[in-house]
Amino acid sequence: MPIPVTIADDSLMSRKAVRRALPPDWDVEITEACNGKEALLAVESGKAEVLFLDLTMPELDGFGVLKYLHEHHTKTVVIVISADIQPEAKRLVDSLGAFRFLHKPLQAEQLRDTLFEVGLI
Amino acid sequence: MNTLLSEEQRDALQELMNISMGRAANALARLVGAKVTLSIPRIVSVTPVEFAQMLNDTDVWYTRQSFLGHIRGEVLTVLSKAGCDSIGELMDYEVPLDKDTLSELLLELANILAGACLSGFAEQLALNAKLSMPTIFFPQNQEVAQVHWASTLMMEVEFKVEASQFDSRVVICLEDIAVDTLLQALNRLLE
Repeated sequence: MPIPVTIADDSLMSRKAVRRALPPDWDVEITEACNGKEALLAVESGKAEVLFLDLTMPELDGFGVLKYLHEHHTKTVVIVISADIQPEAKRLVDSLGAFRFLHKPLQAEQLRDTLFEVGLI
Repeated sequence: MNTLLSEEQRDALQELMNISMGRAANALARLVGAKVTLSIPRIVSVTPVEFAQMLNDTDVWYTRQSFLGHIRGEVLTVLSKAGCDSIGELMDYEVPLDKDTLSELLLELANILAGACLSGFAEQLALNAKLSMPTIFFPQNQEVAQVHWASTLMMEVEFKVEASQFDSRVVICLEDIAVDTLLQALNRLLE
């Protein structure tokens, strides 16, 4: 059974970058979301066992998504991939239960290490 | 708004700007020990008139520094006069700032912001661009023609330091010829 994975980022280039960085032999079914609302829809319809989440997005930002998931005790594994790398952003993301905070531009190796740590690959 | 860029190129350019400006904001946040908020980057081609208007604000200081390499152009940093003292204080300058320390502060801020912006940008595109040291300039005292980045691609982002009135804009101006190089690099990235 492929693992349902959602990539939430308003930038097409960044969504592509995540796709490219995923291990080629990892059996996944990918859903793309362009904003936080779409990301939550994906989670609620069971399409996001793993969620790659950008922070700066229209409609609902990444913090909003994390807050919702946190309040609803969702089991989704969230890996934040952000251009906002200030200590304050990291602190907030950690407090809202994200598994990892990765900086953009995304390094494929770092992403694979992270997936390995979660036990996903 | 800008027919020079396809939708995909615009998206890519905006995201590259986001990432480099994120670094610049982080550098500034660490320096002043306060949170820095960023605007969404604006990418436009400007007319000479619009450009002149941008240089017509008496509430700000301007610095400029040129860069050379695969892409050439100039970075203008626009720093609000308001809030300079509070930033100076956060950076352990003696306040109120006198004329010399104010210049020093402005040049230091410009160099950090422009340096992080440009290096992040060039690095992601695998282009090299070497930035000169900034100088303060007074556009009111010069013919606008001397600032000859009048009709080309301009990328702009605004930084605000929370808990102070200070804000700053970094404007990257590219020579026409550099725009072609930039588009080629973007296309390589999008392949």
